[in-house]
Amino acid sequence: MYELINVDKRFPGVHALKAVDFKVNRGEIVGLVGENGAGKSTLMKVIYGSYQPDGGDITIDGTKVRFQNPRQAMDHGIGMVFQEQSLITNLTVMENIFLGFEQQFVSFGVINWRKMADAARAQLAKVKLDIDPSTKTSQLSFAQRQLVELAKVLTLEERIDGDLVILLDEPTSVLASEEVELLFQIVRDLTSRASFIFVSHRMEEVLELSDRIYVMKDGEVVDVVEHDKADKESIQHKMVGREVDKEYYREQKQKPYDGDRVLLSVDGLGFAGRFADVSFDLHAGEVLCLVGTEGSGREAILRTVFGIDRPDTGSVTVKDQKITRFSAQNGVTMGIGYLPRERKVEGIVAGMNVYENMTLSQMGNYASAGILRIGEERALAEDQVARLSIKTPDIFKDCGGLSGGNQQKVVLAKWRSGGSEILLMDHPTRGLDIGAKEDVYDMIREMSDEGVGIILVADTLEEAIGLSHNIIVLKDGEVQKRFTGAPGSKPSLYDLVHHMI
Amino acid sequence: MNMERIKPHLPWLTLVLLVALVGIANPTFLNPAGLIVLASDVVPLFIMALGMTFAIYIGGIDLSVQQLANLVTVIATVFLMSFGIWVAVLCILAGALFGAVSGFVTTRLYVPSFVSTLALGFVALSGAKWLSGQRALHMDAEQRDATFGWVFERTLGIPNELLIAAGLLAACWFLQSRTTFGRSLKAVGAGELAAVASGLNVDRIKILAFALCGALAAISGLIFSVKLSGGDANLANGFLLLAIVAVLVGGTPLTGGVGGVLNTAIGTLIVMVIRAAMVYLEVDATQQQMIFGIVLIIAIALTIDRSKLKIVK
Repeated sequence: MYELINVDKRFPGVHALKAVDFKVNRGEIVGLVGENGAGKSTLMKVIYGSYQPDGGDITIDGTKVRFQNPRQAMDHGIGMVFQEQSLITNLTVMENIFLGFEQQFVSFGVINWRKMADAARAQLAKVKLDIDPSTKTSQLSFAQRQLVELAKVLTLEERIDGDLVILLDEPTSVLASEEVELLFQIVRDLTSRASFIFVSHRMEEVLELSDRIYVMKDGEVVDVVEHDKADKESIQHKMVGREVDKEYYREQKQKPYDGDRVLLSVDGLGFAGRFADVSFDLHAGEVLCLVGTEGSGREAILRTVFGIDRPDTGSVTVKDQKITRFSAQNGVTMGIGYLPRERKVEGIVAGMNVYENMTLSQMGNYASAGILRIGEERALAEDQVARLSIKTPDIFKDCGGLSGGNQQKVVLAKWRSGGSEILLMDHPTRGLDIGAKEDVYDMIREMSDEGVGIILVADTLEEAIGLSHNIIVLKDGEVQKRFTGAPGSKPSLYDLVHHMI
Repeated sequence: MNMERIKPHLPWLTLVLLVALVGIANPTFLNPAGLIVLASDVVPLFIMALGMTFAIYIGGIDLSVQQLANLVTVIATVFLMSFGIWVAVLCILAGALFGAVSGFVTTRLYVPSFVSTLALGFVALSGAKWLSGQRALHMDAEQRDATFGWVFERTLGIPNELLIAAGLLAACWFLQSRTTFGRSLKAVGAGELAAVASGLNVDRIKILAFALCGALAAISGLIFSVKLSGGDANLANGFLLLAIVAVLVGGTPLTGGVGGVLNTAIGTLIVMVIRAAMVYLEVDATQQQMIFGIVLIIAIALTIDRSKLKIVK
């Protein structure tokens, strides 16, 4: 019914979709899996009309269509349930459901709220959500909001002729397991009304729910697996294109850390609404992983330790010096480096070249009386480019034009060459391809050998387990459990998940 | 050749094209002596635009510069008698302080710079009216010539005024491209959040940028005042639009981080040529701002970095 034929999409420097064929039949649930950067989000954006393909065709029931924007896609029955929920929290549930389509309830220029509430109730019944449609959206739980979002998309049913295709983008990422079950039941029931495209990084869920699974890698569909023939191992294999093993996380290179040298000590740290009473020590050569779901406080702890956010309670002590003034500036002075999750926004300055980025945190070391010694800056950059094998035509290249992995290397080079002994890494491998990830793992091991203490928020649990000496599991901003992980005696995924949710 | 590659070269190409067009239409325009006179005429505007460049380079804007220059013309005229040459120092300090206040309001009170500087511009205007008693003041001709007469003399045939402008341009260029401060400005303009996460004191950098903008606006007002031998609260009116046009057509976009003071030099020359062309084409003086308003919109639309703007309000 809905079909993409040979669809191509390019961005400057990236071939994001390579001749992708994709098909959804009536009443089908199609799974879409792939690593970060495999092209899933680009494909979805093409499907719901946010991007226009550079080549290939989109057809509905054999008729060619072209969407200029998501609204046009909606008019053809394509709806999107967003991962970052798109509901406006200070509006009521019914206002959200009919946002932009209030006209049907208007008589003499005034909205008939009762009529709208009735219509909203009918939509909510489709997703089996029994709430008052005049509730403010901010009062709902995440799971309820997800269902409202789904109900909102289902209004398409009344509005258009023809079939519905609904995209679910990581719908389970913020849900507890019983909520996930409930959502799946609802989605299955709704297949009489619509087809679904289900995108998730949780392989088990995709296997459970989908009739067919598209596996993407590097912008290509590498396999289409039927539900009955789907097997987790082989799909994972195709996603990464290789076996994931212990070698991958460089476990053989993991050495014991220096338990006598405490670099950083966090005591009773708390930040209202984010995390509370967090304490730990970070030693020279240690990799400490903070593990938890989105919003468990992992990132907030990193940002507070660095100094960007100010804690309400507790203290941070760096090399026996208690921090009294929390600011990024102070953090940098104390020898803390921060690899932010938003690499392109907070990590590198796009528009500045390689050497300018590398000395940004340490300009004082390359200046006399405020005048830069640019020759030395360039020498540093040449040296780091060679040492970390950063792929760039030269050091005058705009960092915004480098690939993700090389941008990350530039940020690492910035902190390491500036002498940071403590590194806070927030999703350092997010969106990198396999090779670049392995480079980052190698660098982490090298830094540990040099006595750098690392606090890591990993992109996946496997990564956290593979890389860490110690793991702290967080839930709702509180420390749940601590694990130690010497090579060979690492905790399992299930040990961690058990305490996360 | 795509648009992104051509973009950095657009300003000087535009300048060359405009000079050629005006030159063909009116060959006397290309007479060097005439060009020098034209260039000297835009010196106050250029210096103001130079300051404005710093505000725009960090992604802000300073709408108070015109009123600040107005205030400075009054200060200069009132205090010339008692301070002599030191009136220059007084004016520049006042400008820097005023700019720093704009920066403070913007960074510490979280008032967007276009509102904070607009509001402070009215403070300056009001100050100028109060100090001048709403009258057009005149400098004592003798005192003016003794103190600032050298500004309008020539060295090796080049007006000193132009040499001052060139000197300031060189100093600003050095500051922008060879100092930690200049590098910080670029980082704040191109990626403020990354600058914060690299431990830069972004607030201080912004306050300094606005202070610099204010100081240069003061110099601009001072020269203009000396040139016209007087001061009043409306003397520099009409400068603001042209200063913004000069910065933007020069190729420093409102989103900041790109361009710089050399671009502004080219931008000012473009403004100069357009103004000269309008005189040749006998465009009525009342219509000139209309043209520049349109030029400004075109320049913004061409230069702005849309990837940095999620929402425009």
